Amino acid sequence: METFIEIKPGRKPFQRIYLGIMLWFVGKAIQAAARVDNEVKKEFKGMPANYTFSLGAFPNGPYMIVGKDDKEKVRYLGSNISKHHVDLEITLKSMKNLFVLFTFRESTPIANSRDRMIVNGDLPQACAAVRILDIVQVYLLPKPLAKLAIKRYPRWSLKRHTVDRLMVLIRTITGI
Amino acid sequence: MHIPDYYEFCCRVNIVTDHHALEKIPELLLSMGAKNPMVLTDKGVQAAGLIDIVIGAIDNKLSIKTIEDQVPPDSDLKIVNRLACVYHEKGCDAIIAVGGGSVLDTAKGINILVSEQAQDLMQFTGAGVLKQKLKPLIAVPTTAGTGSEVTSVAVIADHEKNLKMLFTSPFLLPDTAIIDPRMTLTLPPHITAATAMDAMAHAVEAYVMLSKNPLSDAHAIEAIKLICHHLVRVIKQPSDKKGRLALATAATMAGIAFSNSTVGMVHALGHSMGSVCHLPHGNCMAILLPYGLEYNLHKVEDEIAELLLPLAGEEIYACTPQKNRALKAIACIRELNQILNKATGGTHPICFKNIKDKQGNFLVTKKMLPEIARTAMGDGTIFYNPEDLDYEDCLMTIQAAWEGIPLDRSKIKQG
Ligand SMILES: [Fe+2]
Repeated sequence: METFIEIKPGRKPFQRIYLGIMLWFVGKAIQAAARVDNEVKKEFKGMPANYTFSLGAFPNGPYMIVGKDDKEKVRYLGSNISKHHVDLEITLKSMKNLFVLFTFRESTPIANSRDRMIVNGDLPQACAAVRILDIVQVYLLPKPLAKLAIKRYPRWSLKRHTVDRLMVLIRTITGI
Repeated sequence: MHIPDYYEFCCRVNIVTDHHALEKIPELLLSMGAKNPMVLTDKGVQAAGLIDIVIGAIDNKLSIKTIEDQVPPDSDLKIVNRLACVYHEKGCDAIIAVGGGSVLDTAKGINILVSEQAQDLMQFTGAGVLKQKLKPLIAVPTTAGTGSEVTSVAVIADHEKNLKMLFTSPFLLPDTAIIDPRMTLTLPPHITAATAMDAMAHAVEAYVMLSKNPLSDAHAIEAIKLICHHLVRVIKQPSDKKGRLALATAATMAGIAFSNSTVGMVHALGHSMGSVCHLPHGNCMAILLPYGLEYNLHKVEDEIAELLLPLAGEEIYACTPQKNRALKAIACIRELNQILNKATGGTHPICFKNIKDKQGNFLVTKKMLPEIARTAMGDGTIFYNPEDLDYEDCLMTIQAAWEGIPLDRSKIKQG
């Protein structure tokens, strides 16, 4: 007889909603940055055709998935991990770990060094995905918060900090 | 001392250290219910006569089914598949792996296939896929460097698809590591130097990288002490059995340290140096180690400063003002490289531009450096480095290491 694991909704609805919104933003912002930012463009270019990657929490999410389509266009593919083939999974071991990460109490490198993440997929691509996430965080977050999230706050040109950031934010919200 | 909120430490390898540790193999294997081992090694180890010593020590107390010496310098998927078939055909029930990193990786790969009764290694890649104990595996390291006898990872290359497959699981830890100085007694001085500096890089990186913890620290510090105390003496007096045992112990301790912490940019750059220019890993480590520390200095100055004590001893540590200790520690490693260079008659390299192959051709040209930097950007160990690295940072570091000049620290970007 087959046994079914009953998936219970998380007991922390606030965390789940907060993370869902954050992941939606990150996913949309990756799609936007891939149109605006040259470095993000380059990172995606280095990935194989139709490459997809996800970020989320084990075992029941939430998740976000982004990937390249047939025409090399980067798209936010939503939050339903069972609907997509994912080449690279970056998964926090629990929703709490993801919450700590997204409330900037622990940076991505520290979370990784404390063994809170599982990376499943090719390493060079994983490195590229982490660099993309870093850049997107710099676009989305005010400097003091971004500094908590990444190792080194980058020295960007004034245009990248202002015009490009505005473009990324507009495209993130409007989805175009 | 820095104590992280969370860390894990795991080393369930039985480490048997003795001037006659090899003689314990039969007893150890029998206690695990096995008596028909495959002996796995490479041509170099075989030619150095080390297998004869191992066989002599086993002294017919086990029925060795086969001795396979086909392991290439870079572990290979095809060989793993073939040897797994041999394991079954000959009715083996254990593996005794005698060699360096590649032999150990190959042994771990074979052990996955034969224990899981599987054909395809690919299905076991990644972390935590293995769910049960594998067949008995005894590791006999012959290099005093890699520390693979106590690590839970295996890297196996699929040369046809040009892929490197990474396997991580606590079940990949060998059951027993045999540390017997007879296995390293005949290593020539320049290889002794290179492999010991690999161990040094494991210990030093384990101590300064983001995943450090008090348990890995203890192993790292002791390993550094042992290497500093014994390495130059052993180079000058290769038959120094006590010194050989100390270096082998240090390599194992450094292996425990880095597999429970991590390595960082020194290994990221070193791996790509190795894959692009086919340099021996230990040489890359020796050259790159001071640069890796210089690069991270502003982030982990206290940790590097603490390394001065095991590197230089109490007197120098006490005489050096706190603010100078980190730089002094880096200088100590450079100085050790210089001493090794002299003691090996110039064969221990101190910068990349001077390394030549047997025919006298330069192995690393300036033109190769951009490709090396690009490759390093895809190396997972970069995650654990305290400071971030982009392509320019990697390039700047290896350019300095190529020339053999200290890193211009004013050019390091500090967020
Ligand atoms: Fe190494």
